[in-house]
Order: sequence, then structure tokens, then C-alpha cells
Amino acid sequence: MKKIYCDIKKCIGCRACEIACAVEHSKSKKLDEAIKERPLPIKRRKAESIEGDVPRSKFPKITEAGNLEWGIVISTGCHHCEDAPCVAACMSSAMYKDKKTGQTKHDEEKCVGCWMCIMSCPFGALSRQKQDKIIVKCDLCPDRDIPACVEACQTAALFLGTEKEFKKKLCNT
Amino acid sequence: MQYVIIGSSAAGINAIEAIRSKDKKSKIVVLSDEKTPLYSRCLISYFLAGTIDEKKIWYRSENFFKENKVDTVLGVRAEKIDTDKKEITLANKEKIKFDKLLIATGASAKMESVKGVDKKGVFPLRTIEHALEMQSMLGRVKQVAVLGGGLVGLRAAYALKNRGKEVTVFVRSPQILSQIIDKGSADIMQAHIEEKGIKIKTGSAATEIKGSDSVKNLIIDNRSEYPCELVIIGKGVSPNIAIAKDAGIKTNWGILADGFLKTDNKDIFAAGDVAEAHDIALEENSINAIWPAACEQGRIAGLNMTGEKESYEGSLAMNSLEFFGLPVISIGITKPKKDIYEELIKKDENRKIYKKIVLRNGIIVGAITLNAVETIGILGTLIKNKVDVSAIKDTILEDHFNYGKIVNIVKNSKQGFKQKEFKETTMTL
Repeated sequence: MKKIYCDIKKCIGCRACEIACAVEHSKSKKLDEAIKERPLPIKRRKAESIEGDVPRSKFPKITEAGNLEWGIVISTGCHHCEDAPCVAACMSSAMYKDKKTGQTKHDEEKCVGCWMCIMSCPFGALSRQKQDKIIVKCDLCPDRDIPACVEACQTAALFLGTEKEFKKKLCNT
Repeated sequence: MQYVIIGSSAAGINAIEAIRSKDKKSKIVVLSDEKTPLYSRCLISYFLAGTIDEKKIWYRSENFFKENKVDTVLGVRAEKIDTDKKEITLANKEKIKFDKLLIATGASAKMESVKGVDKKGVFPLRTIEHALEMQSMLGRVKQVAVLGGGLVGLRAAYALKNRGKEVTVFVRSPQILSQIIDKGSADIMQAHIEEKGIKIKTGSAATEIKGSDSVKNLIIDNRSEYPCELVIIGKGVSPNIAIAKDAGIKTNWGILADGFLKTDNKDIFAAGDVAEAHDIALEENSINAIWPAACEQGRIAGLNMTGEKESYEGSLAMNSLEFFGLPVISIGITKPKKDIYEELIKKDENRKIYKKIVLRNGIIVGAITLNAVETIGILGTLIKNKVDVSAIKDTILEDHFNYGKIVNIVKNSKQGFKQKEFKETTMTL
């Protein structure tokens, strides 16, 4: 299935993906409006540091040798797991697999906010929308051809495609 | 081939789906003593609270049995299994043959052995019938007593508070949720619940339920009285093993199930709240009477009934709860009793945050997160994959802990993390 992959070698932890995601999932779809919305739009992607402190609002360092050091960062979200633990754990069948696309989808109408999916997600990729007591997660931007985070990624670390296509891309670059 | 499944909640439903994914033709018969079995048991308290309507409680479509070509016998109890004749006898004396059988009879609410427990207005909260009956009498209820401070007791208390009732919870042990979380986290939760108007009396128990026909009041600790019109018993559940035990199937606390969820009879499987199977953290057999375990066990037992050889890795105790906006999730061993365990705790009472991990030889075996729950699934992953986390153990309780912090561990793990998606995250590292 098509999903979002992150090339860790290219990710610099700029968090453009996070902002683009939150804006895409806002009512207005405009950054300056979105920040005034309540509840605040929630990002479904996170730039997470593997080594170093980059996404913790510290500036990249210049090393003694004069190189720019970014730390190692991964941009991550829902992996749309084939054998999705969140789907298995969901007690209201709000979380489900789309039989055609293989995506892990979430039906807000059915969600009761029990957080059993959070309890089961191996990647910590789900967030609580506290006001309505529902889960939010990556929906691969159903209104767009290319997800907002992938489009916003300035270093081409994020990639939309199948695993095969992603591997092919890695070989070519 | 004729498959028979006793019980039609989480384990039974998942078993049907698993069987049908491999075998479209053979006959499947489902037996349930409930007339309307396709609801989600965990949603009963939400329904009682009035936060969801009855429609939302249905876990599968009403045509589920038809769509999966399942014959049903509903509202009739299965009474006997004859393992030689491979035949089940129902309460109405009807007999049903099986080639492969799944026992998913679940568990029943334990009733307190207190005098007067048979009076009207005293309920457990286990089935939709209980909730509907309670709902029908709510109009004349002002005060409610909940006996037991476990998951179901507190959910019931929360539900009835939400319905505008005055609720007091009597808890025999010194803390609430004593089977699920430790005292440190329980104390924060208790204070929070009390702030919102539910009274909780720990170290306190009802010694008698009084009233003529219906309940009028409780005697607490042989001393004081508590007037109430509704009493909810939340004293946990016990597995429904009688039918298996009488048939000579090996049982302990539950029905013993092996690494394929088979009982000691090669054609009979067990899954869900009745099954005693491997526990990953305890490294021994145990019953984890929880929804996700029942679903997974049902699925695996179903597959193996069709002749597949799907092994069962085991379950973990896990619970997720939220009261008045304060969530807590726990996984695995949370209250270790021996000194071979190491406990790391981070507490921030102002923000009502509490986090704890329990380690054994550098491997996480349990975790609690209160009000900062989003990353606990990652800890569940570390528990399941039994990797040494000594190198990062101090970062685990930090606010900024996330999946990124374990990517190196995932990459360097010799045996490999069990799900294929983990590999995708480390491909470019």
C-alpha cells in the first residue's frame, strides 16, 4: 500500500511536516487562522530526535570542523500497520482497515475516547483530541493527491509511495 | 467440518472472522446465553453514563452472522460438553455436534458474599441487560453505592454521577484500582475523582445490604449506615470454566490453553476471559480478562481451528481508563512484589502527571502513565520484545520521550522487533 516513509538521512528536524499537517487538519486550512481555532488543530506527524536535541527547539550546531550538525531525526506518524494493533484493540470498531487501500482508518462518529488504541500503538502515533474525546491520527490527507507533510518537506525526506517505490528511490539517490 | 463456538463476545466474534478468512464453506454454529450478543461489553458503562446512545454499543453490524454464514442459537445456555461423542447439550436438551470447538464462555461478575445481596436494586455491571434494568429504575434513585474500587466499579460510579446521582464508592483495600495501578498513581486519580464530586471511602466495606424487598441502606463496617436506592457490585470477574471442568478439560483458575490456544483436547480451543494462557511479563500462565487479549486470542484460536499453525505469543495485562478528563493507562507488572524488580517513578502533582516503569534485569516488564499517556504503546512494544533498555532508561520518563528514542534499540536488536513496520523505520538509519 501507499504510505509515508521518512529518509532519516535527509530529515533535519525542521518540523515543516508538523505545521503542514496541523494546518491541513484545521477548519480554515490557513496557518494564521488555524492558530486561533479552538480546539487547536492537532498535528498527526512528529519530528522526533533519535540522537541529539534538534526537535527540542535547539538550534543546529556548527562543529569545530565547521560542519553543520543537525542531530539524527525521524519524522514519524501512523505506519498503517498491516496487522494493526490499534484495530485489534478498538472496542467500538472505530478503528478499521480499509479493505481496498489497506489504510488504517478512524471513524470519529464511533470513537468513544477509551484510548485503547493509544495503549496498543507501537509507535506512539496517536493523539487525543481532548475536547470531543476522540483520537486523531494520520489519514494520509484524503482531500489531496500528495499529503500536506510530504509536500511541505523541503529536503525530500518524506516520501509517499509503496515500500518498493521507497526502496527504489533510496537506490537512485 | 463443523465449527462450534460457545460465547459470542470479543473472542467469539474474532474467531468467526478468522475461520471465515480461511474456510468459506464449513458450517459454523455459535451458541450464546445472551439474546443479543453482538455488543461491545466495554461500552456498557458509556451507555449507562448516557454519553453514547444504544446504536453505538453494537460492535458489528446486525447482519454479521448472516454475512459470515453463521448459524446461531441465542438465549440458550450450553450445559454440557461430551468430548467422546464431540457433542454439546444445551439447556433446552438440544444436542449439537462439533468437529472443532472453541470455548469462549467469558467470565461472570463476582457477587459480594454480603447479606442482602439478593435484594432488588443490587446489580453487577456485566451485561447490557444489567445496564437496561438499572436505567429503567434511575428515576427513583437519588443515592448510589458502589462496592469495589476497580475498573468496573469506578466506571459505574462515573456513569451514575454523570446521570446526576450522588455516588459513594466503598473500597476494601487502601487504594482504588488496586489490580491495575500502584498507590502513587491511584492517589492522584482518587483525589481527582473526589474533586469532581464522587465520594470514595477506602479501607471500608459493606457488611450488610438492608431493605424489605428493595435496597434501602447499607451497613458499613458493622457501624455506620448509608442510605441508597441502587447498589453496584464491582468485585471483579471469575471465568466461566464449569462446562469445561465438568467435561474433563484441564483447568486451573481458567481453562488452560497452550501456545496455540488449544486445550489439552486436540479439537477444543479456549479464548477470551475464560482462557488461562501465557503472560509475556509474568512469563507464566495467567488470565488477562481484557478486550484486546480476547480479540487476539479469538483470532488465533479461530485460525488454528481451521488447521493453521499460528502461535500465540501471549498477552499482557493492560488497561486504559479516564475519569473526568484524567486518563491513566497501565501495562504489565505495575506493583512488583519481589526485590528483583527495579522501579523508576516520575511524579508531578501540579500537572497531575505520574509515570512509572518496572524493570527486571534491564528489561521493562510494566509501566503506568497518568495524564501523559500518548507514548505508553512504545513501552508496551519494549515489554513485548524483551530488549535491554538500560542505555535509555533515564530518558523513558522524560516529557520528550517518543519513538525516536528507541529507533537505535530497534535497529540493533538481534532477534528483530516482531512487526514488519519496525524495519521500515530503520531502513535509512
